[in-house]
Amino acid sequence: MVGLSLGEKHFIQGGIAQDIRSDGRKRLTYRPINVETGVIPQANGSARIRMGATDVISTVKAELGKPISLQPDKGKVSIYVDCSPTAAPMFEGRGGEELSTELSVALQRSLLGGKSGAGAGIDLSSLVVVEGKICWDLYIDCLVVCSDGNLLDALGAAIKAALSNTGIPRVQVAAGASGDEQPEVDISDEEFLQFDTSDIPVIVTLTKVGRHYIVDATTEEESQMSSAISISVNRKGHICGLTKRGGAGLDPSIVLDMISVAKHVSEQLMNKLDSEIAAAEAGEDES
Amino acid sequence: MEFVSPEGLRLDGRRPMEMRQIRAEIGAVTKADGSAVFEMGNTKVIAAVYGPREVQNRSQQINDQALVRCEYSMANFSTGDRMRKPKGDRRSTEISLVIRQTMEACILTHLMPRSQIDIFVQVLQADGGTRSACINAATLALADAGIPMRDLVTSCSSGYLNSTPLLDLNYVEDSAGGPDVTVGFLPKLDKVTLLQMDSKLPIDIFENVMQLAIEGCKAIANYIREIMLENTKQLEYRRGI
Amino acid sequence: MREIELSLNQTQKIRLKRALEKLESSSSKANSNSNASVSISDSIPVNHEDGVLKGHGTLDLNGELVATLCGVVERVNKLVYVRALRARYKPEVGDIVVGRVSEVAQKRWRLDIHYSQDAVLMLSSMNLPDGIQRRRTALDELNMRSIFEENDVICAEVRGIQHDGLHLQARSQKYGKLERGQLLTVPPYLVRRRKQHFHHLEQYGVDLILGCNGFIWVGEHVEAKDDMVEDQVSKPEQQKSNKNSISLEEQEQTYTPIETRQNICRIANAVRVLSILGFNITIEVIMDTMNLSSSLNLDIHEMLGSEFCVLVAEGEAERRSLTKRKG
Repeated sequence: MVGLSLGEKHFIQGGIAQDIRSDGRKRLTYRPINVETGVIPQANGSARIRMGATDVISTVKAELGKPISLQPDKGKVSIYVDCSPTAAPMFEGRGGEELSTELSVALQRSLLGGKSGAGAGIDLSSLVVVEGKICWDLYIDCLVVCSDGNLLDALGAAIKAALSNTGIPRVQVAAGASGDEQPEVDISDEEFLQFDTSDIPVIVTLTKVGRHYIVDATTEEESQMSSAISISVNRKGHICGLTKRGGAGLDPSIVLDMISVAKHVSEQLMNKLDSEIAAAEAGEDES
Repeated sequence: MEFVSPEGLRLDGRRPMEMRQIRAEIGAVTKADGSAVFEMGNTKVIAAVYGPREVQNRSQQINDQALVRCEYSMANFSTGDRMRKPKGDRRSTEISLVIRQTMEACILTHLMPRSQIDIFVQVLQADGGTRSACINAATLALADAGIPMRDLVTSCSSGYLNSTPLLDLNYVEDSAGGPDVTVGFLPKLDKVTLLQMDSKLPIDIFENVMQLAIEGCKAIANYIREIMLENTKQLEYRRGI
Repeated sequence: MREIELSLNQTQKIRLKRALEKLESSSSKANSNSNASVSISDSIPVNHEDGVLKGHGTLDLNGELVATLCGVVERVNKLVYVRALRARYKPEVGDIVVGRVSEVAQKRWRLDIHYSQDAVLMLSSMNLPDGIQRRRTALDELNMRSIFEENDVICAEVRGIQHDGLHLQARSQKYGKLERGQLLTVPPYLVRRRKQHFHHLEQYGVDLILGCNGFIWVGEHVEAKDDMVEDQVSKPEQQKSNKNSISLEEQEQTYTPIETRQNICRIANAVRVLSILGFNITIEVIMDTMNLSSSLNLDIHEMLGSEFCVLVAEGEAERRSLTKRKG
């Protein structure tokens, strides 16, 4: 989509090699991150993240549902991404579907920890209300409003912020229901439970251009990538999910090297994001 | 169900002739030529305009005027009950068409021959009156993109419940089964460009209900005009000489 | 209202607000025209007895002159028009523009110059690489891609509007392909038409081209040399980047020197800051902004942070109030 002349491509590659990118950043520097929470009052939790011109909204909606029979002690979480045509005319009609699906799947892989849900960033067992009968289903819907590269990291951060903004109503289960009957529940509209978001990983995408790799690539820089690895890392420094994109092959030793760099970068990103989220929540309370 | 209390208050505490809080903001999408956010109560939409630019599909090029296109989409989270709809369902297609026709009628398309203007509206929150909110947002976005227009087209809806004409229906009132009259209006030319109604009404009452919607349109036009004027002044003095 | 897109803390917000207020007051004093802002469908007061020529952005509605754009009313003798602010580029003959090739067609290139259509650059409207004035042959047509290909960034001059669109020309050494640098896009209303749009900043080794269409080129300085020689230099380079697997080292040797690159990025970020703030983009203000950032010892990427933007806004408010007092 981005058309660049040979000279510009050369300039971008050179900048990455010399550690001064086109906007003056170093290879491992992020653009300023701007967090806003509670942007969609109708949802249980929501957040908008802006990094440069990249602008995404993430919302969480909680609905009561039934756990699947194989995992009676776990709630369900699903993540969907939609690319709005406002972001780019090419997303018009079904144009954004491929990218949307790619992003949705990558996010599920990074945050939901496999089919069993083990290692998920969100503690699925905390979503259960009555084992085997009632649980919360979390629907995480994201919207790309404007796109200037590094969508996956931005979406991951937006989900983390939206979850910290989420209040799940406290549920009272009427006693007495037994056996196969569906117990009656009473949803409180005053008491809300806050999520523990400390375990939710952040996603760091390293984009490899030439011999070097960079974080938070812009669209122009992404067009020059040979391959990219998205690694989600939680606060403990554990890797929660990994996605490699791009056609070029990578030497296994480089992959390991990239992972250790991502782990290092993720600490800074996590701290930065946490303080931004806290500031946004404080700002929202004030107004 | 009672939609207007004996004291004359509606479910959300408004008077029958009262509009919800409206708020507009110019410039929400950095990369677009023009963009705007428009809120009417809990309804919130973003509009982005790309163009006028080279026609992407040559066969659609029109030699004496600009090609205007529009796409309406709803975010999954925009409605109260979450639903995942396939893109391009019939309702969206119809609304896209309505917005396109309304906007096309007021853009001076003959000034930009052989070019293309794309209007994208994205509903972030739906609480009744999305059609109107989209048209208002699109007007602002087109103005922000510097596209010449005959007049400021604005839109507002009205209804008739409990024998009372109501201005600017919210979702609950809209789904109550009464008539929903959506009007698009050109305030300077004093002309109606869009008129839709479902359900039935006696003619004399319809006149009142439509008049109410037109008054709503005028109020919105005043607000939009002020926002645009303030925006223009700001751009001008910030730029300096 | 179009907010400035920055995340600011409380003090920064207040400082920015104060700076903007200062700008507002200095512009309203300097300019008696400041009340001439109109919005779409506003009527423009005119004296019909003097005779009125209605220009851009106006419409005659039952004898009343009505604005069709948001902008500022300008009056030149009998002509009344509305000058739009944020809009696509409105070409004028002789403008210097920067554009990107979108298509190589029969005897012409089409360029995206942020206008409502692509502009046309005819093969016959530009100097050939061999520099000889002659008829264009079929061979020249076949070799058009060796001059410019798709996505190349080009600098040219507006020739005029003809029946098939806007035509450009590039009949001088200073026009042509731009390489080794970056292209920035800003709203065209921020770039004023001036005598000089090409700037060679010798102390930095940088070429800066402020295209009237809002496309701004910041790149490594290239000596305006004979095109024949340049062709020979650039060709082996193209081959290299085509098969960059051969040797990255060799490729790296051709990279822009690091000091020049730092200057390019610093200038580019100065332009970005001015564009975010919506300030007029001229060579003087760009240089001031760049010097301010260097004197503060800021890293180049920190220029895009909110603190620096607020500082630039304050500096600009100060500068404008001073120049007004002098004048």
